[in-house]
Amino acid sequence: MGILLFITVLLIAACGLIYELIAGTLASYLLGDSVLQFSTIIGCYLFAMGIGSAMSRYIHRGLVYRFVWIELLLGVIGGFSSALLFLAFAYTQGFQLLMYAVVIVIGVLVGLEIPLLMRIVRERYHFRDVVAHILTFDYLGALGASLLFPILLVPYLGLVRSAMLFGVINVVVALWSTFLFAKQLATAGTLRMVGVVVLCGLGIGLAQATRITMAAEDNIYADEIILARDTRYQHIVLTRFKDDIRLFLNSHLQFSSRDEYRYHEALIHPGLSAIAAPRRVLVLGGGDGLAVREILKYPQIESITLVDLDSEMTRLFSTHPMLTALNQKSFSSPKVHIINADAFPWVDANTDSFDFIVIDFPDPTNYSLGKLYTTAFYKAAGRHLSAAGLMVVQSTSPMFARDSYWCIAETLKQAGLKTYPYHVYVPSFGEWGFVIAGHRDYELPISLPAGLRFINLEEMPALFQFPPDMAPMPMPPNRLNDQVLVRAYDQDWKDISH
Amino acid sequence: MKTSRRQFLQSGGAALVGVSIKGDRAIAGSFVNDSFQMGHLLRDGAQFAQANQVVKRAVVIVGGGIAGLSAAWRLNKKGFSDFVLLEMNEQTGGNSRWGENEITAYPWAAHYVPVPGPKALYVRELFEELGVLKDGQWEERYLCFSPQERLFLYGKWQEGIEPAIGLRAVDREQFQQLEDFIQNFRATGKFTVPMEIGFSETTAELDRISFAEWLHAQGMNSRILNWYMNYCCRDDYGATTSTTSAWAGIQYFASREPEEKGPLTWPEGNGWIVRRLLERVGKYVQPNRMVHRISRHGKRFSLLAGNTEYQAEFVIFAAPTFLAPFVVEGMAPLDDFEYSPWLTANLTLDHFPDSYGGDATWDNVFMESPTLGYVDATHQSLRSYVDRTVWTFYWALAEGSPAENRQLLLNKDWNYWKEAILRDLERVHHDIRRCVSRIDIMRMGHAMARPKVGAIFSAERRNLAQGRGRILFANSDLSGFSIFEEAQYRGVTAAEKVLREIGGRA
Ligand SMILES: Cc1cc2nc3c(=O)[nH]c(=O)nc-3n(C[C@H](O)[C@H](O)[C@H](O)COP(=O)(O)OP(=O)(O)OC[C@H]3O[C@@H](n4cnc5c(N)ncnc54)[C@H](O)[C@@H]3O)c2cc1C
Repeated sequence: MGILLFITVLLIAACGLIYELIAGTLASYLLGDSVLQFSTIIGCYLFAMGIGSAMSRYIHRGLVYRFVWIELLLGVIGGFSSALLFLAFAYTQGFQLLMYAVVIVIGVLVGLEIPLLMRIVRERYHFRDVVAHILTFDYLGALGASLLFPILLVPYLGLVRSAMLFGVINVVVALWSTFLFAKQLATAGTLRMVGVVVLCGLGIGLAQATRITMAAEDNIYADEIILARDTRYQHIVLTRFKDDIRLFLNSHLQFSSRDEYRYHEALIHPGLSAIAAPRRVLVLGGGDGLAVREILKYPQIESITLVDLDSEMTRLFSTHPMLTALNQKSFSSPKVHIINADAFPWVDANTDSFDFIVIDFPDPTNYSLGKLYTTAFYKAAGRHLSAAGLMVVQSTSPMFARDSYWCIAETLKQAGLKTYPYHVYVPSFGEWGFVIAGHRDYELPISLPAGLRFINLEEMPALFQFPPDMAPMPMPPNRLNDQVLVRAYDQDWKDISH
Repeated sequence: MKTSRRQFLQSGGAALVGVSIKGDRAIAGSFVNDSFQMGHLLRDGAQFAQANQVVKRAVVIVGGGIAGLSAAWRLNKKGFSDFVLLEMNEQTGGNSRWGENEITAYPWAAHYVPVPGPKALYVRELFEELGVLKDGQWEERYLCFSPQERLFLYGKWQEGIEPAIGLRAVDREQFQQLEDFIQNFRATGKFTVPMEIGFSETTAELDRISFAEWLHAQGMNSRILNWYMNYCCRDDYGATTSTTSAWAGIQYFASREPEEKGPLTWPEGNGWIVRRLLERVGKYVQPNRMVHRISRHGKRFSLLAGNTEYQAEFVIFAAPTFLAPFVVEGMAPLDDFEYSPWLTANLTLDHFPDSYGGDATWDNVFMESPTLGYVDATHQSLRSYVDRTVWTFYWALAEGSPAENRQLLLNKDWNYWKEAILRDLERVHHDIRRCVSRIDIMRMGHAMARPKVGAIFSAERRNLAQGRGRILFANSDLSGFSIFEEAQYRGVTAAEKVLREIGGRA
C-alpha cells in the first residue's frame, strides 16, 4: 500500500506540472514573449494552488470521495486543455481569458490534491513521515515531468496529445484510488463508471489529436518562425518544424522542404527532358532557386536566366545557410543570371530566345498577379521560345481549383500554343497541376537525369491522365480586359472552404 | 472573427506604419497648359506682329488636335505632302494631350476610345495601321484591364458605374424600360458613330427637348436612373440632362454596341494615338503658331501666324469652330455653338491610400459628387507591382451657366481648386492628403462642344459641316459633341474633300 500511495503522489505531481508547462508553452508559442507568458502562468498557477490548499480546510467529510472527483475533473480539464486552447486561439477572440481561467481551475484542483491526500493517510503514518514522504514524491514527480516534457513529450507527442495522456493518468489515479481507499469510500460504483467514461473520452481524443491540431493549424503558422521579413513587394515568412522548412509569401504556402522535390521535379523534368539539346533556360518567378537546382542537373545547359521581382528574396536564397542547403547553392552557379524585374515588362522588352521557359508565379489571387496568366502574357512569352523550345506553367490545382486550372490551359491554347496538361500529388499542396506548352508537338522524354526521387519514365505517361474529378472543364481564356481567372480562382477556393 | 498569428503580425505591422506617418504633407503644383490668354487675344482683336516671311503651301491645317492630325494623316497617307499644320500650343494634341513624370505618362483630357463599331471605318483603318486591330481582333494590351470601373455609393464600392446595389423594383423596371427604348433606337440605324452616317431628319423632334424632359415624358422618374443619366451627360458632354438635347442623350447609348469588352485605353490616354500620329505626320507640324487672321485674296488664302504669312489654296480649319468668326475675315458670328467648361488635374501619389478599398481599378466614380472621379494612369501598366501612381481627376462644371463657370475657373486660384479636389476625394479616401505630393491643374473654358437642345439639327452647324468651298471646317464640334471618332471623321473627310478637289483639277 505504501509504495502505491507514493506512486500516486508522484503521478499527480507530474500531471499538475505538465498542465502548467503546456499552458506556458502554448502561450509563448502562439502569442510570443515567452518570459511574460511563463511568468504570468506560473504565478497564476501557484496562486491558484494556494487557494486550493486554503479551500481544503472546508472539506470535512468524504475525503476520498472528493479526492477521486478532483482527479476525474483534472483528467477532463487538464487532458483537454491543450486542444481547447489551440482551437480557441484559431477560432475565437478569447484565447487569453480562457487560458488563465483554465490555469486557475487546474491550479485550484491541484492545490486541493496534496492536503486532502495527507489527511486521507494521516491515521496510518506518523505525521512527520507523511509530510516528508509525500513532499519528496511530489518534488520527484515534478522533476520527472519537467525532464520528460521537453525531451519526449513535445517532440514525439506534441502538446495536444501530451495533455491527453496526462489526463488519462489522472483518471487512472482516480480509478485506483477507489480501490486503494475502498474502506474510506461509501460507494465506488458511480465514481468508477464516470472514470471509465472519461477514460474513453480521452482515448477518442488521443486518436483524433492530429485532426484537432490540424484544424487549429489551418489558422496559424503552427511551426517555429525562423524568419519573417517585409520586403518592398511581399511578406516573407520561413517556418521550421524539426526538419521541415516552409516558405510563405503573403501567407500563401510556397513549399515545404519535405516534399518540394516532388513539386520541382514535376515542374522541370517532364518538359526539359523532352528537349533534345537545351542550352538556354528562362525562369520567371522561382526566386527560391529550387527550380534552378533541378535545371542544373542538365550539364549541357549553358545559361539560366532567372527573373524575379524581389531582390530580397533572391538574396535570401543566395545567402541564408538553411536555404542554400535546400537549393544546393543553385544561385551561386556561374550559369545562373539573376534579374530582379517585373516579369511582364521584362518579357515584353527582352528579345532573347530560350529553349525552355519555366513560368512559376504565385497563384492568381488578385488582378495584378492575374496579368501574368493572360493570353497577352503567354503570347509575349511564346515569342521567346526557340524552334525546339517548350514552356511549362505552374497552373494551380486541377482538384481544388479545377476551373482555374483549365482556364489557364485554355488561355495558353488561345495564345496560339499547343498544350499538354499534367498533374502530380504534392502532400503539402494536394493535387497540383502544370501545363507544358509550345509551338511544336510535345513527346514524352526517353531519358532523365540521374538521382531523381519522384519523376521516372515509367510513371510519366500517367501524369498526363486526368481522372473524372479533375477532367477538363470548358472555360473561357483569361484576358487582360476580362480576367475570368481571378474570379474563378476566388470562387474555387470559396467552394472548398465552405 | 478568428485571430491568427498571421493577422496578429499584420495588425502589428500596420500599427508600426501608422506610427511613422507624419501629419499632412505639403502638396506642390500649379495651373498648367492655360490657353485662355491666347484665346482672349483673338476675342479682343489684339494687335499682332507683322509677318516678315511668306510660306506657300497647297493646304494649311489650323489646329493640331485629333481632327487636324487626322487630316494630316490622311493627306500624308495618300501621298500628298504640300501642306503644313499650324498648332497654337507648344504641345500638339489639343484635348488629347498628355503629360509624363518619373512614374508614368498620363492624359490631360481624353483618355479612352470605346471599342469602335463597324461603321467607324476610318477609326478602324487607323487602328489597323497602329496594330490596335489585328485580323479582326482587338489587341488585348490596349483594352482596358480588369477591373475597369467602380462606383462608390452608400459608403462602399461596387463594380461598374451603373448603380447595381440598393435598387428598388421600380428602379430596375425603369433601367429595363430605358434599355428597351435604346434597343429600339439602335435598331433604327439612325444613331451611329460617326453620327453623320445614320443622321436622319426623322429624329429631329428628339433635338427639340432636353434629355431630362424626354426621360420625364417617358415616366422615368427613378432618382438613381436620373443620377446615372446625368452622370453620363456630364462625362461625355460636360452638361446635365437638362442642358443636353434628348437626341444626344440617346446617341450616347444607342450609337454603340461593343463587340469586345473595352474601352481602348493607354497610360497617356488618347495621347498615345497623338504620339503615333505624330510619328507619321510630325514633320508637317509647326507648333507655337497661333493663326490669328485668315483672309481670302482671289484664289488664295492668307493665314497669319507669328512672323509668317502662309499662302494656301485650301484651309482645313480644325481649331474649335467658335474661334473662326474671330479669325476668318468676314465670317458672321455663330449662335448655336456652346461649349462646356472643364477642369482636369493630375495628382501624383507616392503610395496608394490605405482607404483604397479593393483591387486597383481604372475609372473610379463617386455617387454623391459633382465631379467625375479619377482615372488611374498606371492601370494599363503591364507591371504586377505598382506602388506609386498618377490619378487624372475629371470635373465638368456642368451645373449652372457656362459663362459663370468660366469666370469661376479664371477667378479662383490654384489653392482653391486644389482644396476642392482634395475635399472631393476625401469623401472616399480620408487619408488622401498623406499620399499626394503634387497636383497640377488644367483649366479649359471651352473644353468641348455641348449638344444643347437644338444643337444637332442647327442649320448653322449643318451648314458648316457640309464643307463647301475651300475653307473646310473639321473640328469635332461640327458633330455637335466632341469625341475621338467624330474628330477623326471630320479631319479625314475634310482631307478627302481637299484631295478630291486638287485631284479633280490635276
Ligand atoms: C476633359 C476632357 C475629356 C475628354 N475625354 C474624352 C475621352 O475620353 N474620349 C473621347 O473620345 N473624347 C474625349 N474628349 C473629347 C475630345 O475633345 C476629343 O476626343 C478630341 O480630342 C477633340 O479633338 P479636336 O481636334 O476636335 O479638338 P481639339 O482637341 O480642341 O483641338 C483643337 C486644336 O486647335 C488648336 N488651336 C486652337 N486655336 C488655334 C489657332 N488659332 N491657331 C492654331 N491652333 C489653334 C488647339 O490648341 C488644339 O490643339 C474629352 C474632352 C475633354 C475636354
